[in-house]
Amino acid sequence: MWVPVAGLPPRLKLSALAGAGRFCIWGFAASTRKHLPAKNHRGFSDSYPQPLPYPDFNESPSSVSKWRSEPKRYVTSRRLAETVAKILRGKRERPRHLLLECNPGPGILTQALLRNGAKVVALESDKTFIPHLESLRKNLLGSLEVIHCDFFKIDPRSDGLVKPPIMVSHMLFQNLGIEARPWSADIPLKVIGVFPMKNERRTLWKFLYDLYACTSVYRYGRIELNLFISEKEYQKLTANRNSNLYDVLSVLWQVACEIKVLHVEPLSSFDMYTQNGQLEKAKCRESLNPTEQNLYFIRMTPRKSLFTENLTPINYDVFFHMLKHCFGKRGARLIDHLHCLTPVDAMDVLMQIGKSEKAKITNMHPQDFKRLFETIECSKDYVHKWLYDDSMGDTNPPGK
Amino acid sequence: MSALRWGCGAAGLGRVLRSCGRRGLPAEEGTLGVSLGPRRSSSASPREQDLRKDWGHAELLEVLQARVRQLQAESVSEVTVNKVDVARLPEHGGGGGSVQPPRKAQEGATGAAPLPSGRWAEKLHKEKQTQQKRKQRLEVKLQVRAQKLAQKLKPKPLRTEPQLVSRKLADSLQCGVHGTPESPSEKQLAQALQAALQKLSLKKEQALADREAEAQLTGQQQTLLAFFECCLLTDHLRLAHHVLVAHHGSPRKQQLLTLAMYNTVMLGWARQGSFKELVYVFIMVKDAGFTPDLLSYAAALQCMGRLDQDTRTIQRCLQQMARDKLQLADLFTAVPLSEEERAEILRAIVKARPTFRPPPPPPPQVNTSTLLREVYAKDGPVSYPKLPLPLKTLQDLFQQQLRAELTTTVDVESVDKAAVLTEETVHARNTLKNLRDQWEAALHQALQETKARLARQAHEGRPTLYPFLCLLSEREFVRLLMQTLQALPAQGESLIAVAHELGRRTFSRHMVQKQQLNSQVQALERRYTQYLHLLASDTQVAEPSLPRQYWEALGPLEAPQEKPWPVPVLLQLGKHLAELLVQTVQMPRSPTKPPGSCGLIPVLYHVYSFRSFRQIGILKPHPAFVQLLATAAEPTLTFEAVDVPMLCPPLPWTSPHSGAFLLSPTKLMRAVEGTTQHQRLLERCPPAELHGALDTLTQLGNCTWRVNGQVLDLVLELFRDKGCSRLGVPPPPSEAPQPPEGRLPQDTSPAHKAELRRELAHCLKAAREMHSLRTDALYRLSLAHHLRHRVFWLPHNMDFRGRTYPCPPHFNHLGSDLARALLEFAEGRPLGPHGLDWLKIHLVNLTGFKKRVTLRARLAFANEVMDDILDSADQPMAGRKWWMEADEPWQALACCMEIARAVRTPNPATYISHLPVHQDGSCNGLQHYAALGRDSVGAASVNLTPLDLPQDVYSEVAAQVEVFRRQDAEQGLRVAQVLEGFIDRKVVKQTVMTVVYGVTRYGGRLQIERRLRELSDFPQEFLWEASHYLVRQVFSSLQEMFSSTRAIQHWLTESARLISQAGSAVEWVTPLGIPIIQPYHQDTKVTVRGGLQSITCNQAKDSSQKPNTQKQKNGFPPNFIHSLDSSHMMLTALHCYRKGLTFVSVHDCFWTHAADIAIMNQVCREQFVSMHSQPILQDLSSFLVKRFCSNPSFQPQRVTQNAEMAKLKKTLQSVPETGNFDLEHVKRSTYFFS
Repeated sequence: MWVPVAGLPPRLKLSALAGAGRFCIWGFAASTRKHLPAKNHRGFSDSYPQPLPYPDFNESPSSVSKWRSEPKRYVTSRRLAETVAKILRGKRERPRHLLLECNPGPGILTQALLRNGAKVVALESDKTFIPHLESLRKNLLGSLEVIHCDFFKIDPRSDGLVKPPIMVSHMLFQNLGIEARPWSADIPLKVIGVFPMKNERRTLWKFLYDLYACTSVYRYGRIELNLFISEKEYQKLTANRNSNLYDVLSVLWQVACEIKVLHVEPLSSFDMYTQNGQLEKAKCRESLNPTEQNLYFIRMTPRKSLFTENLTPINYDVFFHMLKHCFGKRGARLIDHLHCLTPVDAMDVLMQIGKSEKAKITNMHPQDFKRLFETIECSKDYVHKWLYDDSMGDTNPPGK
Repeated sequence: MSALRWGCGAAGLGRVLRSCGRRGLPAEEGTLGVSLGPRRSSSASPREQDLRKDWGHAELLEVLQARVRQLQAESVSEVTVNKVDVARLPEHGGGGGSVQPPRKAQEGATGAAPLPSGRWAEKLHKEKQTQQKRKQRLEVKLQVRAQKLAQKLKPKPLRTEPQLVSRKLADSLQCGVHGTPESPSEKQLAQALQAALQKLSLKKEQALADREAEAQLTGQQQTLLAFFECCLLTDHLRLAHHVLVAHHGSPRKQQLLTLAMYNTVMLGWARQGSFKELVYVFIMVKDAGFTPDLLSYAAALQCMGRLDQDTRTIQRCLQQMARDKLQLADLFTAVPLSEEERAEILRAIVKARPTFRPPPPPPPQVNTSTLLREVYAKDGPVSYPKLPLPLKTLQDLFQQQLRAELTTTVDVESVDKAAVLTEETVHARNTLKNLRDQWEAALHQALQETKARLARQAHEGRPTLYPFLCLLSEREFVRLLMQTLQALPAQGESLIAVAHELGRRTFSRHMVQKQQLNSQVQALERRYTQYLHLLASDTQVAEPSLPRQYWEALGPLEAPQEKPWPVPVLLQLGKHLAELLVQTVQMPRSPTKPPGSCGLIPVLYHVYSFRSFRQIGILKPHPAFVQLLATAAEPTLTFEAVDVPMLCPPLPWTSPHSGAFLLSPTKLMRAVEGTTQHQRLLERCPPAELHGALDTLTQLGNCTWRVNGQVLDLVLELFRDKGCSRLGVPPPPSEAPQPPEGRLPQDTSPAHKAELRRELAHCLKAAREMHSLRTDALYRLSLAHHLRHRVFWLPHNMDFRGRTYPCPPHFNHLGSDLARALLEFAEGRPLGPHGLDWLKIHLVNLTGFKKRVTLRARLAFANEVMDDILDSADQPMAGRKWWMEADEPWQALACCMEIARAVRTPNPATYISHLPVHQDGSCNGLQHYAALGRDSVGAASVNLTPLDLPQDVYSEVAAQVEVFRRQDAEQGLRVAQVLEGFIDRKVVKQTVMTVVYGVTRYGGRLQIERRLRELSDFPQEFLWEASHYLVRQVFSSLQEMFSSTRAIQHWLTESARLISQAGSAVEWVTPLGIPIIQPYHQDTKVTVRGGLQSITCNQAKDSSQKPNTQKQKNGFPPNFIHSLDSSHMMLTALHCYRKGLTFVSVHDCFWTHAADIAIMNQVCREQFVSMHSQPILQDLSSFLVKRFCSNPSFQPQRVTQNAEMAKLKKTLQSVPETGNFDLEHVKRSTYFFS
């Protein structure tokens, strides 16, 4: 059934198809393709050797190819899209929350969400998909908005120029009419998407900094993330003490959020957009690496109780520094780390949090770290509670 | 000791953290691994166990000794008791002391009275005796064991006899030891000399055995060599020999040894005249398969000379030398030796060859460069300038400077507002004083303990830091550490920086001390006094000559030639000292309370800062200590002597390493620490080639300066008040934005807190920036205040391109407007007929109000606003403040004051002016490009052509860009339309200026973006697009206007790329003969392990490493142009000096007295023409071809390499075409420099 459209370059195809409003063709093609023999598959790819035209934008090809350098995964399986949509809808008839869908790409998931009665804002970083998404919007007045925006790069920290698809959150949210909600209130919106393939870790750090500092999107309340994440990162994220994956990232996420796995899906259900602008199956390299085989659909809901005590958006960087210091030498005893972190009497602190002198970093639960921090933070009779000062801090999440 | 180390938390943790996963004693970890690299970690463990065993022994020994003491004490009491017994009971006499405790003995005694000779008593006595014997046996046994142990613990005698690999040599050693009694060593030497052991594998190493090879030593080898050298310096030769023998004896460690190490130890023995040990080393050299080189023979001959050895031995040695193809004469030319050593060698040689004469010292060479012919010409009248001071004064000044350098630091009173002496302040100062006394004592003790420990380890054959810690007295080290502690900023300093600084300062202190000990100071003093006769105002010398020539004519001076330590050694030593500081310095938990009332806490913490994925160790003072320092507000700043301007004329530069400061070592060419390539290049080049540079630097340093007190007073007034950012006077911390005060209410929302945090972070950032500016100004003004009523000198050196800089960093004429305004010439000159006019023109130039009008019009403008000028001079702070509007307000003010004083003199022509007047090159880089390319259009736009009005290249570029923009706008390009009315001189200026120096499009775009951002009415959403567009237009405009410039730039870039790809760093020689190499190499890291933390730093960038092509390529055009502008400056300086002018420069801005401007202008133009009349590009091309394409040893291994070589040669030879601009025009161009 896909044969008739095979002659069109894929990008043109997207918009052309969208115009006809026959999503099912694409969907069918996508869902059947995995049953195709490999040879045939290659033949499919090879049928577009000519360089792709760059419709409807003035940028030179060279600057486009820059954007292409980050391949992304897209949900292209209708079955998966339906599953995700059902999960997000929950038991209710209609989902109550606004959904921000990051990089919907071909829009398979978007349609599933819309079918389930959701209000969706599609934030697409790749201009190629926009016309197609726009045409979707036209067909479904009111419940879909399309914006050229890269959600994972929102609010860049460098003072450079903000140039689409990079956006400033308050402009975006203002335009969408989203209002800030208090931290203790219900979640204001949900974000759905797939973590960027290459920069999963960096993105996780970016969210953490924003979350603890209550800046960027988290200024609007406890934004709930529903994202597909690689198995490897998922395990790190949820690792607990005595696991050798247990790290700063695990502690910070587990302290900040409730993390729940909603669904596990093999990697083969996703398509990738490659450098030469074609959708294709994810490279089969994962067969060598068993941990790469699944993507985990997880929900990360910030805890209401995160800021109820002495940890606040004012002093969170000290908390970050404390954890980085501790995990710098994870085998060492806690008390030795405390000597380097704070002038407050280390024995006192240990006693207050009920840990023994011999306690090691790897014996501590995530919540123990929070307690430790808050104990030191509210210790009386000390003018100087930390040796840290902000000149030592790293306000940028670790990048490359 | 270990308890002491564990006592302090931070350091202790550091150790634990470091030692994770490693075996051994954590407390000792720091010293164990110091010199042993990663590969050695396995070999380190047996040593550790050894050590542990030793420690175990030590404990056991202590226990045993204690027991012996106890026993002795008991037996004494017994003996006394027995004596009592004996006295009472003579029949029991002679009992030799019983084993019974005194009580029992007494019992016995009392019991004995009723039964004087009973069986019981006898039995008792017997028992006593057996027990006594047993005890005695035990005692003896214990004592023997204790002695044995003590023997074992006593430092083993240092080994002198080597363990040899070669059986033959070993036999000869044996026979030497036990055999012929008359001259064992000589026989051994004879055998050693003949032994021709050659390890083939080492041949290659031999080929590299010149100084170049030193760069290729591994970190371990560098440490080892430095250890040997330092042992020689500190009189630990025996220890060095011991370590050498220990290394030689182990096959694995022997690989680390190089010939230089053997030579070092041999030299030590030669100096001491110890023939036997020298022979041992010689045998080891042979045994290791090295061929002795000149240095080895020099050492052997020196020793023979000292001992007056018999002719036969010497002859044998000389024969072998000939066989090794070494020339005798080279001993006197190629080996760095002191006079005395040379004499000893000669004594030995003459004994064997009575006819031998050392080669005569080379005659003083004369520079042959055509450009400098006039400067060194011996004909015609020469009137070199004199200093404005008499001999006596200069001698006094020399003594003052000498004292300052001998103490190595200078205390300067801070000009900050003095703190009110409250009770709190006084208390804090007292507390600090007490603490410092305690710390000094503690550090002293810790140093001694460390030294003892390191000495022990060195005795075990390990090259420790022990000799380095012996370089300076403990008192001196403690002083150094206390200064470091005092200077540590509140936010801490990275460990690597602290370590580096400590290492560096130890070295320079050691150098000063060494000269003091060698009585070089007295020699210097005598010589300097003679030298002053040339400079002083009231003395005459027979023949006018340049300072360097005069200094050289005073005879050779022994220059201490000690190489700076390699970076790994520097860091190791520095880190060890820093650790000592961290571990030792402690204070009470709350320092304000009386001592002893609460526990001790460390003052310094070793913490980590996390930047991205890197982890940086920081030494951070305890906040309470910082608080204490702030409260005490001590009014003294301490500077290193080399950071303060000199109080007497600097030593003239005579070689790449001697000049400037009296005692502190200074490099002619400044470079990143540890870089040796520049220094090597300079040393290799014939001395006469460098004369131009040496003389220029000497001359720039000889300019006498004084502080402009009037301006300083005004600045200080502002500084102590609220400061003024616009005038460049940084405000005090009290003016920093204050973070919101008060406690937050309980229910503040997280979002609000986030807001607060942002505000707080903003305040902190601003405060930090203000603080650093303030500190900078505080140093500068304090130094200015300190030097207020004196004259001083700014010694100069140069960077690798030949650009000159004053050495003292804080207070010099290179700084901001404020810094420049504080300085004036100490020597005054009458204004003469035109001086006042030049002052006025200078003032208008400083205001920047009349850039594009003729000199005449500028003068007219000055006369027009004379009222304002006088008003500014008379009431600078209260009047109309005309001067504050100027581009360079403080210099303008100083100029206003000078003009006011001059016009109020009855005859202004006689007014003695001290103010430097400047002449600036207009876009100097482009001037050089235009002259190189003989580009008429370009030359006209940068004022090489005489024109009525000054040309402004920035405006012209802006106009050209505007033309392009209009075209694009007409074609409907949106961004071109948006930019209408925004393109002016200011937007493009920075980019045009820096294009010459290699700014890329990327950097250019950022510059333009910044300018556009400043324009309030520019639509900010177009910033990116507009700046992107503009930078393209600027580049193409420049291309259009300076076509030949781009061609030359392109040629230079391409050449550099190919040279670098062929594996070399780009080198060239300036028209004045300074050899230049671009120090851009690929990074290699060195790691210094052990102790608090491992330190990783970039290895010294050196020619042995692969070049960084990107940097070599991008750097070549700007560096080449800089080497030209520096040459032009030097030529101008030298010729001005010959004409008797005072001349200083800030790169392309030349300063002299107002009266002499006309002469300077003429010289400046003439020299520009004469320099560019040389075929500069052709010379460069042929130099590069010769240097990089005609290497006979280069055997292309692949065809592609051959092709690359051909391409390189072709590129290098295709010198860009030039235009037809006539250089002679420059001589008549008024606005060339103006």
